[in-house]
Amino acid sequence: MSVFFFSEKSRALNVIAHLLYISGVLILTLFAILLWQELDRPPLRTLGETRLWYALFLPLTGYITYLRWNYRWIIYYSGFMAIVFLGINLIYPDNYDRTLMPALQSVWFIPHVIVYIFAYAILGVSALVAIKGLYTEYFGKGKDWSPQLADNLVYLGLGFLTLGLLFGALWGKDAWGHYWTWDPKETWAFLTWIGYLAYIHFRYHKPQKVISAMWILALAFVFLLICWFGVNYLPSAANSVHTYTQ
Amino acid sequence: METRKKRPVWVSPWDYAEGWLFVAGLLLTGLALQLIKGGLTREALSWPVNGIIGLLLTVSIVIGWIFFRKNNLINWLSRVPAAITSITMITFLVLLMGFTLQEDAKNPLWVQKLGLSNMTSSWPFLLGIVFFLCALGMATMKRLTPFSGRNIGFFLNHAGLYIIVLAGILGAADLNRFTMHLQEGEVVWFANDDHGHQIPMPLALELKSFNMEEFNPKVTVINPADNSMIQEAIPDMFEIKDGNRGTILGYDIEIKKFMMLSSMIEDRYEAVNNFGAAPSAFVHVTAPDGSVKEGWVSSGSFMMPHRFLELNKMYSLAMTLPQSSHYSSDVMIYTQSGDVYEQRIEVNHPVSVEGWKLYQYSYDDRFGRWSPTSVIEVIRDPWLPVVYTGIFMVLIGSIYLMTQGKAPEKYEGDE
Repeated sequence: MSVFFFSEKSRALNVIAHLLYISGVLILTLFAILLWQELDRPPLRTLGETRLWYALFLPLTGYITYLRWNYRWIIYYSGFMAIVFLGINLIYPDNYDRTLMPALQSVWFIPHVIVYIFAYAILGVSALVAIKGLYTEYFGKGKDWSPQLADNLVYLGLGFLTLGLLFGALWGKDAWGHYWTWDPKETWAFLTWIGYLAYIHFRYHKPQKVISAMWILALAFVFLLICWFGVNYLPSAANSVHTYTQ
Repeated sequence: METRKKRPVWVSPWDYAEGWLFVAGLLLTGLALQLIKGGLTREALSWPVNGIIGLLLTVSIVIGWIFFRKNNLINWLSRVPAAITSITMITFLVLLMGFTLQEDAKNPLWVQKLGLSNMTSSWPFLLGIVFFLCALGMATMKRLTPFSGRNIGFFLNHAGLYIIVLAGILGAADLNRFTMHLQEGEVVWFANDDHGHQIPMPLALELKSFNMEEFNPKVTVINPADNSMIQEAIPDMFEIKDGNRGTILGYDIEIKKFMMLSSMIEDRYEAVNNFGAAPSAFVHVTAPDGSVKEGWVSSGSFMMPHRFLELNKMYSLAMTLPQSSHYSSDVMIYTQSGDVYEQRIEVNHPVSVEGWKLYQYSYDDRFGRWSPTSVIEVIRDPWLPVVYTGIFMVLIGSIYLMTQGKAPEKYEGDE
């Protein structure tokens, strides 16, 4: 796979770096499409498969953020995170299998998961901004930072998160009979969503209290991580319909 | 960090301090009610009580804002500190819920007493939601008066969420969820609730046939001593299909012939379409030492035994049980108005009849594709259109939210 394409750190050969980066993203896209065809179902069922999409969307988000607002460090971190995720997939290969339980065979399956992973990627970048922000505030280093950047990413990410949540509700009505059942995954999805909601309201009301806001943002991302894969390990999830196939 | 002067509590305008006191008060009140009166029951809110409560709350918010917006409480509810403190209260309660299995019987008594194992029916949760809705409603009213086109996104998100939460919670009391257990050729007029009580239905169902399609099974290696799967074989399991070939634990395995429905005749398998037919495959195996073996494997069914192919003392080749890819029930539907028609009810494709939605729920998994019974879940949710209105508003609102980014300014640190 295209792991090494992400390790570009070239400053002088800017064009080549861009080309390599884009080709890395394209190769990953191609890989996802081929896997889709090979499996004859959307590769969105296992945790490993969601990591693949995350590794695709994260550098993409980072790249667009960089192009739009010119924060170079974002591209390194999002690229690095993508490598970590691909690395996990290489170390623990999935048994790729074609079976997809009937409840997952829905028109909502693809929009629900893709929109969610896209939101996760954007919010993942916003978490990087928050950590960078806290580092900047506490150690007074690294001026290449703006809380406004975090705001923009959260607006975008929360928008997608809301779409994913509501698509899930509409799907749930058709597949399981109700749009919301407080399944543990739903509970944590709600916590994630309301965490970012708190961030937006706090930023709106107290724009000068940057440190508190960044802590809220970091905490919201912890909820997101628990929702994404932590739920599988929680005692409260014993009856969940949402745990990924391992 | 705190640079401004200390402000006495309960002096207008109220701020965060009042919010936290409010939350503490609500939590204590909720806890007391929970301990004294026990958890809430869903039925207590059924129609028309829920309609009246929803109307009263909404009307009080509208009237409260229009006539008493100078009032400390009303004014405070419409601003961000109330939003944040109510969000925090809900987050706190849902967080407790996120760590507690939501099933009374599996929790210690004190957890049950506090309502933690049934959070959404507990008093603290109810009070939190009321606080949240009041703040949400007031904030919506504040932005609506005077009305401005710029606020449309704000309105869609806030009013939409208000509608979803209010209608979702009140509507839960009117939600009916029953199951109908169908046998082929039998007309059923009754449904069963969770407690096994029979409920007469305004419609009847007759199962014509239960249908199932399955994914091809996979080939794997097991330990014949206890029929357990060899862990190292799992990543290399592959789909059984004519001509498919793979290597598991060094054994080269080729599928010569595969039949989804077959029956054992003497020592071989033949394709049949009988009740109880099972999948089988003829395989050609080359061991790591070059020796060759051929034979049949079958996952078996409720009527036929499974069959392994012995590789050596420790390993046997086996076929996994096929997993269902689709299942559905063809049913005749009889309504009280005298309509009769045939419909297919499939997973993810419920059928609507006279205000009820019919879902393919389960079947007798001992028989798999040959199940003679099918369970249909019947659901009535009269509040659904209201909730969907809210969902639709927030869907549009969330797209508006995405456009809210501004060009970031570089951070001016305190260096």
